[in-house]
Amino acid sequence: MKRLVIVLGMLLLGVMLIAGCSASPAAPSATEPAATEPTAAPAAVEPTAAPAAQQEPVTLTYMASQGWIKDAELELAKKFEEQTGIHVDYQIIPADQYFSVLKTKLNSGEATDIFGGQSGKTDLQVQYDVEKNAVDLSGEEWVSRHEPLSLDMVSLNGKVYGAEIWDTVASNYFVVVYNKDIFEQHGLSVPSTFAEFKDVCQTLLDAGINPIYEPISDGWHHVLWFPMVGPRFEEVDPGLADQLNANTAKFADVPVMQEAMTELNELYQMGCFGDNALSDAFSDTNAKLASGEYAMSVTTLTAPVSIETDYPDVPAQTFGFFPMPLADNTLAPAHPAGPSKFIYSGSPHIDAAKQYLAFLMAPENLQYLLDNTPDFAALNFSGLQAKWTPEQQAFLDTFPAKSIVYQDAVNYVNPQWMDIGKDMVGMFTGSMTPEDVLASIDQRRADMAATAKDPAWAQ
Amino acid sequence: MKARTYPFYFAGGALALYLIFFVIPSIMGIFYAFTDWNSYSTEVNFIGLNNFRTIFSSGAGQNYLHFIRNTIIFTITTIFLKTAIALGLALLLTGGIKRLSYFHRVVMYLPAVLPILVVSLVFKSILNPATGLLNTFLRNIGLDFLAQRWLVDIHLALPSVIAVDTWRGVGYIMVILIAGLMAIPDEYYEAASIDGASGLDSFWHITIPLLMPVLTVTTVLNLLYGLKVFDIVFVLTNGGPGRATDTVYTAIFDEFSKGRYGMATTLSTLLFFIMIILGYFVIRLMHRETEG
Repeated sequence: MKRLVIVLGMLLLGVMLIAGCSASPAAPSATEPAATEPTAAPAAVEPTAAPAAQQEPVTLTYMASQGWIKDAELELAKKFEEQTGIHVDYQIIPADQYFSVLKTKLNSGEATDIFGGQSGKTDLQVQYDVEKNAVDLSGEEWVSRHEPLSLDMVSLNGKVYGAEIWDTVASNYFVVVYNKDIFEQHGLSVPSTFAEFKDVCQTLLDAGINPIYEPISDGWHHVLWFPMVGPRFEEVDPGLADQLNANTAKFADVPVMQEAMTELNELYQMGCFGDNALSDAFSDTNAKLASGEYAMSVTTLTAPVSIETDYPDVPAQTFGFFPMPLADNTLAPAHPAGPSKFIYSGSPHIDAAKQYLAFLMAPENLQYLLDNTPDFAALNFSGLQAKWTPEQQAFLDTFPAKSIVYQDAVNYVNPQWMDIGKDMVGMFTGSMTPEDVLASIDQRRADMAATAKDPAWAQ
Repeated sequence: MKARTYPFYFAGGALALYLIFFVIPSIMGIFYAFTDWNSYSTEVNFIGLNNFRTIFSSGAGQNYLHFIRNTIIFTITTIFLKTAIALGLALLLTGGIKRLSYFHRVVMYLPAVLPILVVSLVFKSILNPATGLLNTFLRNIGLDFLAQRWLVDIHLALPSVIAVDTWRGVGYIMVILIAGLMAIPDEYYEAASIDGASGLDSFWHITIPLLMPVLTVTTVLNLLYGLKVFDIVFVLTNGGPGRATDTVYTAIFDEFSKGRYGMATTLSTLLFFIMIILGYFVIRLMHRETEG
């Protein structure tokens, strides 16, 4: 008995030791370097600093994925600190780990004051649970200037939860970029059907030129071919996205989707993507296009400009654009979802964070961001001066964006992007059929819907 | 039993820490295998054997059995390859090659010292079908037909990963076997040769039986490593092309990053039991051989 008491006592001690180590007051953040100036930080009241009559300098923490924060935004953050004394501490996480880190932080209640996230209804609801984790921003001034399509992507059940400061056209459109000189040399013209596109590829293959640079090794790029053709799916089958969201249609049963997937496989099997596509990397795209080794690639409208920056002897005018021609698509995709900024509902500095977002979205600061970011040609706010090149403008005039891409329009597609990529590689290498890939997408959608307790999947 | 020098509770502190940090989390882990724990909801519901059922019924896009098959192929092949090559090298470096034998041992051991990540990244570049060192070399000496798409051909990817892992792991096993070989007294071989035994006879009837305890250790080490393989596959192929080289641990990582913690825990629980069962049988089997 005595022994038992002693053992239990030791156990209790151990537990108390651990409990003692872990229990800490709900501190706002572990990394709180003091801001330089003790200037007034309006509206950022600090209840923890009870005895101090003066307001304490505030540091806002902001977590985002690599590539989402442009240099110009960091400059604006410095300017903001000069004006208000509020320091913004940016925490940039590598892209492939970002969502795991973010979700862990949100789930453990330790998210930063502002967190970045990809917009889109599924992401808002399923990935970040914004109704619980983010602050309602519907009453902010900038909401009225935000482009409606983008605003819809950061809204859920009628409330605005985020700010999407992004070029949703030039940086978000993935289209076929082609080398006009190569096309001209071989008497080729821009294809308007898949059959014509195949002929273009065959002519180039016969001439010993690799038709398309398709970097499959990154895992995400070759997936673009499918959901980006969403506007065409919608054109052939009006209301399809709604049916998919209501669970009254399945990817595997839609003929136009089967057609697109089969055609993509056909392109791979023809050798249009070159011999080394499975090992090719996206980071080499500019080099491959600039060298003329490849005639085309799927990339953004800003690619030619960045090619010219990297290779000054290859002017941006060398390249033209056309929409991905799977399933005879001739529509440009509208893709309003993009990296967005949310304020964490558990943040002790909600007002300061709102103030920072308002500062970033002041018209003159948005214009500064646009003018000083080479990847941006326009921003999704009214009243700004865009900077389109003649080629970009020609594309926008020729191929109007009718409806939005399927990763934005259809629930549970964007979160399984990399899985679709793996399945597609399975299709290219012969272990899956195009029908299997579509059935697999349906299966994962059903799994996610079940986890999210989606009523459309409930029965 | 009553003559113990120290009372039982002296071990209490250590025992408590062990209990809190190892035993309880392990049991909790096994418990989570029976739940739908995920990152999308704060609720954790008990769902019985549903996760196990999913693994063994493998619907479209969820080839869990395929991952388990890959893991077992990887484990068995690497055990045989590493043991056979390491034994050959160990014999060479203890008996055959006299000159610079220590230098050779160090060279052979070197890959085991390098981080797996570095080895994998280097091999990823060597095995690149278009620009890789291996294919360039093969093409330059006129062996074009041997230049393959090593890591991206569905039939060659797993063998390529196995080959790289064997290259990396063989030195480590060799060092253990060398230690085992050096512990065998020379007298046995002398006595055998006086009795007219050939080199092969000595190998089968002296070296192998006396080396068996060491071989048991290396086999168990290889077995556990093989079943848990992750980093080398992750960097070389990331489970690709498609899902051709996915193993149980890459699948666990995948499930975790998708926020399906319950499923990931189920997979690791399953692997935990497979390891215990296989480890137990391997040790018993090899132990019996040494006794018999």
